[in-house]
Amino acid sequence: MTAAPKLRTSAAADPPGDARAITVAVAGNPNSGKSTLINAIAGTRLQVGNWPGVTVEKKEASFEHAGRHIRLVDLPGTYSLSPYSQEEIVARDYLAHERPDVIVNVVDATNLERNLYLTVQLLELGIPVVMALNIHDEAEAKGYRIDVRRIEERLGIRVVPTSATKKKGLEQLLEAMVGTALARGARKPVDLSYGPDLDAAVRDVARELVARHPQLVDRYPLRWLALKVLEDDERVSAETSLDRDAFAAATLEHLRTAHGEDLEALLAEARYALAAGLAREVLQKPELQKIELTERIDRIVLNRFLGIPIFLATMWIVFKLTFDLSSPFGEWIQGMTSGPFKRWAATLLGGVGAPGWTVSLVNDGIISGVGFVLVFVPVIFAMMFFITLLEGSGYMARAAFVMDKAMHAVGLHGKSFIPMVLGFGCNVPGVYATRTLENQRDKVLTALLVPLMSCGARLPVYVVFVGAFFPQNPGTVIWSLYVIGIVLALVMGVVFKRTLFRGDAPAFIMELPPYRMPSFRSLCLHTWEKGKHFLTKAGTYILAVSVIVWFLLHLPWGVESKKDSYLGKAGQVMAPALAPLGFGTWEAASSLITGVIAKEIVVGTMGEIYAPAPEHAEEAPTLGEDLKEIVTSFGAAVGESVGNVVSTVGISSLSFEEKEDHSALKGALRGAFTPLTAFGFMVFVLLYMPCVVVAIAMRQEFGGWKWFGVAFAYQTALAWVAALLVHEGGRLLGLGG
Amino acid sequence: MNTNLARLAVGETGRITAIGSTGAMKRRLMDMGLLPGAEVLVEKVAPLGDPIEVRVRSYYLSLRKKEAEGIMVEVKS
Repeated sequence: MTAAPKLRTSAAADPPGDARAITVAVAGNPNSGKSTLINAIAGTRLQVGNWPGVTVEKKEASFEHAGRHIRLVDLPGTYSLSPYSQEEIVARDYLAHERPDVIVNVVDATNLERNLYLTVQLLELGIPVVMALNIHDEAEAKGYRIDVRRIEERLGIRVVPTSATKKKGLEQLLEAMVGTALARGARKPVDLSYGPDLDAAVRDVARELVARHPQLVDRYPLRWLALKVLEDDERVSAETSLDRDAFAAATLEHLRTAHGEDLEALLAEARYALAAGLAREVLQKPELQKIELTERIDRIVLNRFLGIPIFLATMWIVFKLTFDLSSPFGEWIQGMTSGPFKRWAATLLGGVGAPGWTVSLVNDGIISGVGFVLVFVPVIFAMMFFITLLEGSGYMARAAFVMDKAMHAVGLHGKSFIPMVLGFGCNVPGVYATRTLENQRDKVLTALLVPLMSCGARLPVYVVFVGAFFPQNPGTVIWSLYVIGIVLALVMGVVFKRTLFRGDAPAFIMELPPYRMPSFRSLCLHTWEKGKHFLTKAGTYILAVSVIVWFLLHLPWGVESKKDSYLGKAGQVMAPALAPLGFGTWEAASSLITGVIAKEIVVGTMGEIYAPAPEHAEEAPTLGEDLKEIVTSFGAAVGESVGNVVSTVGISSLSFEEKEDHSALKGALRGAFTPLTAFGFMVFVLLYMPCVVVAIAMRQEFGGWKWFGVAFAYQTALAWVAALLVHEGGRLLGLGG
Repeated sequence: MNTNLARLAVGETGRITAIGSTGAMKRRLMDMGLLPGAEVLVEKVAPLGDPIEVRVRSYYLSLRKKEAEGIMVEVKS
């Protein structure tokens, strides 16, 4: 075997000779059907994570094929290998430094020219390439005739027509990638000609690199490095501290006089010229092209008058489906964990003679925590499903196109609208949905504003307070809180744009891909990956916080009154800070602290503190009754879920009817708050720190706690100032305080 | 007639003569196929007046007018 094993990590563990593992990197344009192809090949074997140091998603799969171990690495979808976006940097660093055995280049057969531009760049790396000529069925249906053989000849690579959604060509593709990887060295991609002047310059630079910097030639593919030197590539210059002008001075001088100063542009032109030439050569389009479906749909969807109404209607449908379909299942899970599970745990612990406090810890700390994580699962799954559908179908790009001007005014991107809307249901899926944005700045800025959207968890707080203080016009008061959140999001958008996110907003240069129906299997796989990720990662943290809060409530041991618990003491410390807002009591402060888990918990804590219910022994149902109840209530949840979607026009999961009786609490609250301070308290609950689940979502999406820290600080400050304005303003107006 | 891409009317085609922007923005435009010599057809303007949608190299691309202003074109009749 001539080629040295490149797999630094696994080479030692693998058997010698041909049986070693093969590393395959999959590269391609966005919208080339790359994800679907990978899902079709690897399915549930895909592992999702992040590329080290960045928040770009990394998918990998290991499997056996024809007796060989294959490691598949999915590179981020990119149009190019420029050194500017995170995705492009990840892809090119992996290819240049890890040097996989073979690159599978997924190419959209209906959009050859632009896809071949990336192919040309991949070939520069000198790594064997196999082209998956994907979406081939659609190209055929359009009457395109592509000369596959000719592409193979011109580029010196294997080309396999595939159709990932129909699972066609996958076997041949696997065979081609294994064959190409094993024939390493025997079959090399062609060094494409960029014209005599550039070719000469590449040769000259390469020769000088070999002579003067042999250590670099080990680190980078030679031809690629020579091209990067010519382009004066930012990243390679920084990594190698090579100065372009110290190379091949005479050739460079000639290039500049003949072709102008901008060699980066010259190379881009040469690559596109090659791509265009090849596309012309191998592609025959029918004489008479039908008006495409995409064009016909866009005439309506992007219409001057219909565009915005259609967008709003789509948003409404997505919102309704996400929350109304999922909420009955969330409630079912909640019912299961808070009822039967706790009874079983109590019986079990009682049976082994464990002390009473362990029952409380297990039930109120651990099971409540686990239940709390599980309650999020249906909504996260539903949201991921619909977001993936919007993206995969091509509508997401249209939504961004329609909304961009409005969102850009407050420093956001057209695609920011969808995470914000989802935020009204729950901020957590809103934060996760920011991953549809391409640029890190846009993602972070959107995620910082999402928590100002009043979510469903804040409703129970409003409902209790409105019931106690504003029974005449509950709707108006709750509506005003939503409006306050929206207005402050607009204000904060502008503030962030001028402070933390100063500088030019990133460009809005976005492909409007053809409409396509994503495969159901691919949709489900994607949804499953995300849901699983949330469960494992977020679950741990939420559980930890839940247990900590339990300890705060119950320590020191034997505490009688809640006032003497650590939580009560923390409340007493915090109370003076809330005094200017009109609710500087330890009761209010302690309740707010527990809102860290979720804002609706504020109500529960208030119930315990203000109006503790006498403990009364209940007739415990038997195990059989419990199990029966779980099954029947699941059936009821399915029914309700379907009913929610078909029966009403409104969003049933956000209707504000009370689900429990809070009359005792309301009475107590009327003694502790005035209408003015009650309103201030609601404004505070709306705005102050995001809950722990949002914190975890932000950490998962942006790495580290930094951005959550920013959100925590600005929101709490904003809440304090806003509640103060409510209090002082109200008093000035003579509303009493 | 020479102008910039943002000033073309819907339905007009221009041949790119130069890219005025620099750095990362220029490279991004070039990577998407907006290079001197390429033909660009203005397809649509968004309902709120910005961004615009163009057809280039047989695919659809949207960009803000601010970005389109940096692309010099020769109007084709």
